[in-house]
Amino acid sequence: MRIFYLLKKELIEIFRQKEMLVIMFIAPILQTIILGYVVTTDVNNIPVEVINLSKNKAAYRIANRINRSDLFDVKKITNQPGDHLKTLKQGKAKSIIILRDRYDKKRKPLAYPEIQILMDGIDSNTSVIAAGYFNGIARQFILEDMRKKGFELPVESQTLIRFNPNLKSINYMGPGIVALLLTIISMFLTSITLVREKEQQTMDTLLISRLTPVEIYLGKSLPMALLGLIEMGIGILVVILVFGIPLRGSLLYLFLASVIFLFAILSYALLISTLCSSQQQALFFSWFSMVTFLLLAGLFTPVENIPKGLHWIADINPLQYLIKIIREIFLKGNGIEYFYKDLLILGAITVTVLTLSLLNFKRLVSK
Amino acid sequence: MQFEDIIRVNELTKKFGAFYAVNRISFNIRRGEILGFLGPNGAGKTTTIKMITGLLRITSGNVFVKGLNVKKQIKQIKAFTGYMSQKFSLYPLLTSLENIEFFGGISGLPRKEIKKFQQQITDMIPVKILKQKIMDIPPGIKQQVALFTCLMPDPDIIFLDEPTSGVDPKNRRDFWMQIYKLKKAGKTILVTTHNLDEAEYADRIIIIHNGKIIRQGEPSTLLKNENMDSMEDLFKKAVTDHETN
Repeated sequence: MRIFYLLKKELIEIFRQKEMLVIMFIAPILQTIILGYVVTTDVNNIPVEVINLSKNKAAYRIANRINRSDLFDVKKITNQPGDHLKTLKQGKAKSIIILRDRYDKKRKPLAYPEIQILMDGIDSNTSVIAAGYFNGIARQFILEDMRKKGFELPVESQTLIRFNPNLKSINYMGPGIVALLLTIISMFLTSITLVREKEQQTMDTLLISRLTPVEIYLGKSLPMALLGLIEMGIGILVVILVFGIPLRGSLLYLFLASVIFLFAILSYALLISTLCSSQQQALFFSWFSMVTFLLLAGLFTPVENIPKGLHWIADINPLQYLIKIIREIFLKGNGIEYFYKDLLILGAITVTVLTLSLLNFKRLVSK
Repeated sequence: MQFEDIIRVNELTKKFGAFYAVNRISFNIRRGEILGFLGPNGAGKTTTIKMITGLLRITSGNVFVKGLNVKKQIKQIKAFTGYMSQKFSLYPLLTSLENIEFFGGISGLPRKEIKKFQQQITDMIPVKILKQKIMDIPPGIKQQVALFTCLMPDPDIIFLDEPTSGVDPKNRRDFWMQIYKLKKAGKTILVTTHNLDEAEYADRIIIIHNGKIIRQGEPSTLLKNENMDSMEDLFKKAVTDHETN
């Protein structure tokens, strides 16, 4: 049981560094809470100016609805035209809604006004969503008004939203953030572990001992895997208790996917550790890798949006599969029959990275 | 049996790119002797020791330890060799007792025996110090603990890489007394050092410079043959001879 002593030593080293404990156990809770609140795709409180040039009652009521909505922060309602471009340039508003009268061929005002929406398109995502909100409000008003007047539409679509009925972005982001935390902590801590041995010159002592390279490798990765899973448990609790996101699926599958993912990320971190000669180098390398993993994981933007030429990078990114599986388990309550393909791909990535990393470690051992 | 060669080094070479860290050196180490490997920093001492212990791949040449080939039988060789690297290679965040437990454990010693060793070291160093983290104790004690951990698996051959660097003169002398005890117990010891005044402690010395052996023999015989008063003078002459040739 030589490996037991290595595991024990690793854990003592981690738990004896008070700053490290704070980073490992307090930081994830804070990060989950902060990221959960901050990293949101919900668009609220959009600064708006409403310019109502219409004398129509409908225009007045639409402007009123916009004013009452929580989605908009109406800065000004006026019936005077102004310099719209200047308003947008100054950043006083991100949208300007202009309501004008519409006329028929005989120059008689129509029942509903013309609505023009001017958007500041720098934040394209917000602009598209905000435009959708305006159109929705206007359409809803018109539908209701027509029904009051006894008109029925020949076709009407009804939307039923499942799994996240209130379309809260935290439900989408929260489980993903748990996967993100697992990646951050495991990668950073593990990437420095072998380099530290090299810097302390204790690596030689390990190599000359009766420990086999595989035992050293496992002795380095297993404590990190254990800590990673504890971190993950903390993250899941925060997501459930603080954000009220329901865990609809199996916790067992969640941890199964996480363990497979953890070995991929730990192997990658150990690969970094064998390639680098200082802890600084290892941390820099980890940071660079983590940002790449993160941006190509579908956490913030859908993986489908990635240009085709770069899609292969996302395809070999283990974080993408974990985030997908975690979301399915958390929000859809899916069983393994729904995500076994993703799990298999994740497993294949793990085996590949683990093999490469172990071979490289053996190469280092006999350089 | 006294003069049986326990280690045979033949045309040993280590190349890093175009640079020869060790260049075709040959020497033998006899059973039960203390061999001093002398030379300035960067001379090739540590590289040689690392090749003999299997920590570095040999570029060319051969090393046989107790007749076993380092290139092919390193696993068997590990079973009877001990190695203490530069900087004492202990874990700074662990206490001395924890380091002893760790090194005993990875050497495959049974738990009972490790406990015995932990008890044994308390005769040499106060328990209070043994319970302090390695990072908080003085270099002399670190050196003692490092040697103790290296000796726990009871190796026949001991490699000590710069064991006295950073240690005060009294601790250095005490350390060499321990080395003599080990010799008396039948151990074979290879010590590297850049402190030339330590040469007198060794049965034989090898002076290495720029990866080449430039002198080898018994310290007193070398001094007598070259008509030198001190090891430092001998070293200077050997380097000058080597560079002019």
